[in-house]
Amino acid sequence: MIRGVFVLGEQGNMIYSKEYAKGDSKANMVEFLVNLTHFLKTIDLEDKTEYMNVNISRIFYSKKDPFTFMFVADKADDANQIEEKMGELVDSFMREYANLALANQSLDGFDAKVDEIAVTMVKVAILGFAGVGKTTTLHLLRGETLPLVHDPTIGVSIKKLPEEISNANIVLWDLAGQSRFSILWAKMIANAQVVIIVTDSTLENVLRSKKLVSLVKDEVPDAKVIGIANKQDLPTALTPERVGQILSIPTYELVAIDISYRDRLIQIIRRAILEGKAEAKAA
Amino acid sequence: MPKATFIVQYTEFHGLIVTQRYPTSLSLNEKILNLIFLEHQKDKKEELIYSEIEGMKIGSYSSALYPGWMVCTVLSAEEDFDHLQRDLAGSGRLILALIAMDPESFSLEEILEKGSILKDLTEEQKLAEVFLTPSSALLLERMQTEGIEKAAKLSIWLRNQVQNDDVDLREAMAPLMESGIVAVELLGKTSEMVFLVKDIFGYREPPVDSILKIKETIPSIAEKYIEFVTEFFSPASPDKGYNPTLPVDDPNSPILEDREKIARILAERIHYRILTSLREQPLSIADISLKTSFPESVVRKLLYSLEAEKIAIRFEEEDLWGLLTNPRIESFLPEYLLPVISKKLSEKEISSDVARRHLELLIQTWGVAK
Repeated sequence: MIRGVFVLGEQGNMIYSKEYAKGDSKANMVEFLVNLTHFLKTIDLEDKTEYMNVNISRIFYSKKDPFTFMFVADKADDANQIEEKMGELVDSFMREYANLALANQSLDGFDAKVDEIAVTMVKVAILGFAGVGKTTTLHLLRGETLPLVHDPTIGVSIKKLPEEISNANIVLWDLAGQSRFSILWAKMIANAQVVIIVTDSTLENVLRSKKLVSLVKDEVPDAKVIGIANKQDLPTALTPERVGQILSIPTYELVAIDISYRDRLIQIIRRAILEGKAEAKAA
Repeated sequence: MPKATFIVQYTEFHGLIVTQRYPTSLSLNEKILNLIFLEHQKDKKEELIYSEIEGMKIGSYSSALYPGWMVCTVLSAEEDFDHLQRDLAGSGRLILALIAMDPESFSLEEILEKGSILKDLTEEQKLAEVFLTPSSALLLERMQTEGIEKAAKLSIWLRNQVQNDDVDLREAMAPLMESGIVAVELLGKTSEMVFLVKDIFGYREPPVDSILKIKETIPSIAEKYIEFVTEFFSPASPDKGYNPTLPVDDPNSPILEDREKIARILAERIHYRILTSLREQPLSIADISLKTSFPESVVRKLLYSLEAEKIAIRFEEEDLWGLLTNPRIESFLPEYLLPVISKKLSEKEISSDVARRHLELLIQTWGVAK
């Protein structure tokens, strides 16, 4: 996951910066990057991308005079993939924006280009109480056959969506719903761009799930939150509109055991990701 | 010897990842990692937890100092967790400290084969920890002026200083209490009082023991060694050298900055192990590795960082490393508080009971003068 993108000028001046996720303290990081830029002036990287480990992060850097380009990424990321992304960013910047930057003009369009290149992964968390169908929803999204026996999730199960959305991998975090795992929820939804709150559409469960909406709004205020009114095939199910009213979030109907809902659900997630991006841009 | 050891890292995007395992044939699954992680999330202090999962006996170590990391050891059926606790915590502590330095700088296999561990903090390290928590260092400064203070008043003062209402006095006070610098007592029905009973002083001392020893064992380098040390402490004029006893008023003075640096190095356990191994005499990397049970690659890296801090020095021809300066933190009786106590008593700021109790605590800590 690329957590931040920085482009610095000859004097270590920040030309462009964007952060996608919280990491080390921003002020310290910027100071470090400026110092690193000054240091990089003294060496020749031969157009290569190199990296170094700093605290919890890995900083990738490349130079194309007079600019220095940096990505702050995770140590667990695939270095080759990030290096490729760096190459794309440098080429695009030098081709279309270098002259604007040198003339101190605004870099219109560069932000969208950075999103296109740097957003390699979108975290989507699936949250809800035990037995509401979170793991079944995960199987549905992945187009997998449903297991015949209910096997409660332990902690978290992390799986990728087979499709990419806007060139980014969608990583689904299926969080265990049993109450003993509730201490993990706040930690595990951190930095999720989309949180799906799954209910079984019974009044009791939907009322309880209001707590989850509050938790998500407190912990990840920037995330897009979607409600799922699952088990719509059961006679006791509240309508998705009613569930949405109670939870105060946009809510969609689902029968997670019915494969025909798959494309609709993927469209809902796609829309949420794009809306989230648009809101972040406007902010 | 435990059956296997593995290191797990939790990240917000990748979840739980096994970053190293030994032996590499060890097979693990998501459920095992999740259940160990869950246990550690229940209490976020430094701790060693025992779990039995899928027939495996697992001791796992985590520390609030290194969030997201766990060092887990699979015990064999006949091994007793209670007997291994000290060693498991010690090796967990060491591995996490090495990861913090550079996750790719060490080999798990080498650490396990050497049986390297990091022990609990020494007295000297506990004193050094005070300077690592900025609010603790602030509190110490305040107590050096006040001598005795009501905990409630101190709490308000601290909140104003750090401009944060959520600051927890107990947490900021913990390093001071654990190292015996302050005592906190409930006097009367409601008044919790804080007493300063020890003051501390951090400085670099010339490595006298090491020089004396080298004069006996390798006299050929003694002269060179003395030259290096003299150059640091009392170089030829106009350079001033190092004199930590000069009074300092400027909060940004290099001496105060250096005191923080000394505290940091003393409190960092892996640096401390290298430093203490060199206090007696200069050694080769192989000898230090033998003495500390750290792999040579780690020793080399730590020595370079100590060299940059002007603590270690290398004798290139002999391929030996010695101390250029010997960082110390020592405690002393805060005699300067006696007039402060007397003044507070005469101005009725404190009661005679409180003044008496402070004197008792000083006597208990430092003994009766002969």
